[in-house]
Amino acid sequence: MTPQQLLNEADQLLVRSTLDTRGRWPRACAWLIRLALEKALDQYWARILPEAALCPMRPQLLLLPSYAAASTAERTRDAWTGLSRAAHHHAYELAPTAAEIRSWHATVTQLTRDLAM
Amino acid sequence: MHAFRVSRKACCINKNAPQLEQWIYLFRMTDTSGPSATVETMIFDRLTEVDLPGPVADIVVAALLGDDDLDAVLGPQSWQRPAAPQVTSASVVPRFFLRSVTVEGFRGIGTEATLRVQPGPGLTLVVGRNGSGKSSFAEAAELAVTGVSRRWSRNTAARAGWRNLHTSGMSRVAVGLAADGQAGTMTLAREWAAGTDLEGAVAYFQEPGARREPGIPGGWAEPLQLYRPFLSYSELGTLVDGKPSEMYDTLQAILGLDQLIDAERRLTGARKHLDDISSTARLALPDLLERLVAHPDERARQAQAALSGKRWALDAIDALAVGEQQADSGIPGSLRQVITLELPTPEAVDTAAERLAGAEQKLTRHAGTPAGDAQRTASLLNTALGHYADHPGAPCPVCAGRPLDEPWAAAARREISRLVVIAQEANAAVDERDVAAQALRTILPSEPPVLSQDLGQQVNAAASRAAWQRWAKLIAEASPKDLAAHAPVVFTELASALEELHDAATRELTVRSEAWQPMATALAAWTELARASQHAADDLAKVKQALTWLKADGKDIRNARLGPFAQLSAQIWDTLRQESNVELGPIRLEGSATRRRLSLDATVDGVPCAALGVMSQGELHALGLALFLPRATSPDSPFRFLLIDDPVQSMDPAKVDGLARVLSQLAQSRQVIVFTHDDRLAEAVRRLQIPATIWEVARRENSAIELKKNDDPVMCYLDDARALTRARDLPEEARAVVVAGFCRSAIEAACHERIRNRRIGAGARHSEIEQALLRAHTLYQIAALALFDDDSRGDQVLSSLRTQYGPSAVAAFNAAKAGPHAAYTGNLAGFVEDTARLADQLRP
Repeated sequence: MTPQQLLNEADQLLVRSTLDTRGRWPRACAWLIRLALEKALDQYWARILPEAALCPMRPQLLLLPSYAAASTAERTRDAWTGLSRAAHHHAYELAPTAAEIRSWHATVTQLTRDLAM
Repeated sequence: MHAFRVSRKACCINKNAPQLEQWIYLFRMTDTSGPSATVETMIFDRLTEVDLPGPVADIVVAALLGDDDLDAVLGPQSWQRPAAPQVTSASVVPRFFLRSVTVEGFRGIGTEATLRVQPGPGLTLVVGRNGSGKSSFAEAAELAVTGVSRRWSRNTAARAGWRNLHTSGMSRVAVGLAADGQAGTMTLAREWAAGTDLEGAVAYFQEPGARREPGIPGGWAEPLQLYRPFLSYSELGTLVDGKPSEMYDTLQAILGLDQLIDAERRLTGARKHLDDISSTARLALPDLLERLVAHPDERARQAQAALSGKRWALDAIDALAVGEQQADSGIPGSLRQVITLELPTPEAVDTAAERLAGAEQKLTRHAGTPAGDAQRTASLLNTALGHYADHPGAPCPVCAGRPLDEPWAAAARREISRLVVIAQEANAAVDERDVAAQALRTILPSEPPVLSQDLGQQVNAAASRAAWQRWAKLIAEASPKDLAAHAPVVFTELASALEELHDAATRELTVRSEAWQPMATALAAWTELARASQHAADDLAKVKQALTWLKADGKDIRNARLGPFAQLSAQIWDTLRQESNVELGPIRLEGSATRRRLSLDATVDGVPCAALGVMSQGELHALGLALFLPRATSPDSPFRFLLIDDPVQSMDPAKVDGLARVLSQLAQSRQVIVFTHDDRLAEAVRRLQIPATIWEVARRENSAIELKKNDDPVMCYLDDARALTRARDLPEEARAVVVAGFCRSAIEAACHERIRNRRIGAGARHSEIEQALLRAHTLYQIAALALFDDDSRGDQVLSSLRTQYGPSAVAAFNAAKAGPHAAYTGNLAGFVEDTARLADQLRP
C-alpha cells in the first residue's frame, strides 16, 4: 500500500463507524498513519540514500536533517515519535483522541508530499 | 411521588481507632439495620436521664420543636410537652441506584449516547481522554438530578459551550434511577428546545408506570443539598478551600446537627428578648419617678411610696393608676359623693309646708269646741249613766238635784253620741298636723358626713353645712306653725348653698382629672411593663438554664455525631495519603456564631501545623475526598450512587492506589462511578484485583460517542486484534498492520503488568517503576525488563522465550514487533492466537 492509500484508510476509520472497528480506531489510525510516514520515508531514502532505509527508524530520523530541509526533518521526527507513543501500550495512557489523530493525519499528509519532492 | 424523611444516625465511637474496613462495615450495617436516631430523640432520651426542672425541660423541648412552640411555652397559656418522637425506620427511605445516563446534544456529545451501569453496589470506571465526552456524562447526570452543575456555577466560560456544536435541535440529559427493591426505572430529565439557553431547561421526572411530572420529585431538595452525590475535579479543591464557617455549616447539616443549632439559636434569641423585656421597667422607672415628684396630686406621693421599696407594690400602683373616673376614696371620692348628694325639689318642700299649714289651720277651727271638753262631758255622762244603772231614780250625785230617770238617761245617751263625734274630729285635726309636721321634718336627711370631709383646697362646704344646720335647728325647735312658715325659706337657702358646692366639686373633679389622667395612664402602662418584666425575669432564668444544658449536652451530641464522620475521614485520608508525610488530626467544629469554623489540624513528620497550609495540591484533593466521601455515603442519604469526575488529577500513583482501595471499599455498599481521564486508576484497580467495570469512552470527529468495555488491557488489545482480523472493510494490508499493532500492545501490556506486579511486590515505589517503564522504549527492552528485570538484556529475550514458551511464542513476538512497520503476511487469526498464548504466559 502506498502512503496515500494508508492515509485514506486512516481517514475512513476516523469518520466511519462499523461494528468491527467500533472503539478500536484510535490506535489503528495511529498505526496506519505511522506506517504511511515510514513508507514515505522509505521512498525518500530509495531516491536519496538507499542504505539508510535498512537502518532502524531512530538512526533514520537522526540522518534526515543532513539530507532534507530542517523543518521537514523536525516535523517527521515529531510526528513519528508522537504516533509511536500513541501506538504503543503505555501505562496509564489512553488511546489518542480524534483531534490528535486528525492533526497527525494532516501533518503526515503534508510530509508525504514534502518528502516526495 | 417519592417523599422521604431525612433521618440521621449516630454511630457509636470505638475508642480504638478502627480500620477503614470497620468503618465502612459500620456504615454498611447502618444502611440495612435498625431505626435511626435524630438529634430530637437523642435529646428526649437525655432529658429523661437528667434532673432538670420540668419547666426548663419544657423550654428545651419547645426550642427544639420550633419558634411557635417556644413562644407558646413562654406565653401565658399552658403548654403540653409532646411525647418523645417515634423513631423512623430506616427501611422506609427509598434508596436509589443509577441505571443509565443518557445525553443528547449536550457538551461533547452529539447524537444520543447512553452510559448504562448495573444498578447496585459496585465500582464502575468510565475512562476517556479529555474531550472524549466522559465528563459530559458526569455533568449531564449532575444536571439531570440537581438542575445545576457546580462546575458551571463557578465558571461562565464553561457555560458558554454547553450545547453540542454538532447538533442544532433539542438537547436532553436524563438519568434512569432504580429504587432499591422496586421494579422499573425512574427517569429524571431536563430538556432544552432548540435555541433556548442553559437556564431554559424543562425538568421532568417519571416514575415507573406513571405519567411524566414536571420538576423534580417532592422531598428531594434537602437530601440533594445535604448529600449531593456528585463531585467534580474543580469542586475537589473548593471542598477544603471554602470559608471555615461554610464548611462548619455544611458539616453541621450533614451530621444532622442543624436541629440542635436551630434550638440553640432560638434559645439565644429568646434570652436576648427576655433580657430586654426584663430590664425595660427598671429602665423606665427614673422617668416615671421624675414625673411623680413633679405632680401635685397626693396620689403621686402614694405612688412614690409604693415604688420606693425593694419590691414594687404593683397592686397599690394599680389602684392609683385607675383614672379619676373610677376613684372612690380620698378627695376625689368625697368630691364624687358631694356631686351625688340630692335634695328634694323646692316644690315638694313647699307642698309639705302647705300641708302642715293647712293642718294647723283646721286645728284652729276646732278650738271653740274643744275635743277635750266634749270627751270629758261624754265621759261624765257615761259615768252618770253607770250610776243611773246602779241607782235608777236616785237624785244626781253631782248637783244633788233632780232624780236621774229614764228620760234623762235617753237624753244623756244622745248627748254622748254627739260629743264623741265632736271629739273625733278634733283628734283627727291634731293627728293630721302631727303627720304633716313630721313629713316636713324628715323631707331632708340629716347632714351628710361628706360635708365634713376634706374636699381639698378648692372646695368649701362651710356654707352648705351652715344652711344644713339651720334646717336642722328649724326642724328641731320650731313649732309646727313656725316650721310650716320658715321651712321653704331655709330649704331654699340650703339648696342654693348646696348647688354652689356641687358646682365647685364638679369643677374641681374636672381639673383634677385633667391633671391626673396622663399620670394614671403612665402608671398603668408602667405597671404592665413591670409585670411583663417580672414574668420575663422568671422566664429568663429558666431559658438560661435550658441554654446552658443544651450547650453542654449539645457538645456531647455533636461529638457523638462528628466522631464517626471524622474517624471515617481520617481513615480515608490515611488510606489515600500513602507516601504523604502529612498526618491528619481530628476534625473539630469550633467556636460559635460568627467565629464558628471547621478546624482541621495536621502534623507533618510529627510537627503540628494547620492542615491546609502544608498540603500540596494533590494532598488537598485527597483531603477533599476524605471529607466528601463520608458525606456522600452518609447512611441517611437516599442516593446510593456516587459520581466522581476526575479525582486522580494531580494525585501521585501511590495516592491513586489508595483511592482505588477506598473506592473499592465504598463500592461494597455504594454504586461508585468514577470518570477519569487516564488509565492510572483503571490500572490500579486491575492490579489490585478490585472488582470493577471499566468503560472506555471515545469520541469520533462528529461528536459521536462510543463506549467500549475495557476490563483488562491485554484482553482488550487481543479482542481488538481479533475483531480487526474480521474487519472486511479494511484492505488486507492495512488490516495486517493494525492487527500486528494490537498484538504488540497486548504483549507490551502483559509485560508491564508483570514488571509492575513484581516490583510492587518487592516494595518499590510507584515513581521508580514508572521511570523504569519509561526508559524501556523497544519491545526487546520491555520484554527484557519483564523476563529478567533488566532492560539491557534485550539480546537474550528471544532465546529465553524459545526455551520457556516454545517457537510459536518467538514467532508471535517477532511478528508483533515487525508488524506495524511491515505488514504481516501469514495467517492473521493464528498470529493473534499465538500472541494471546504468549501474553497469557508472560502475565504473572
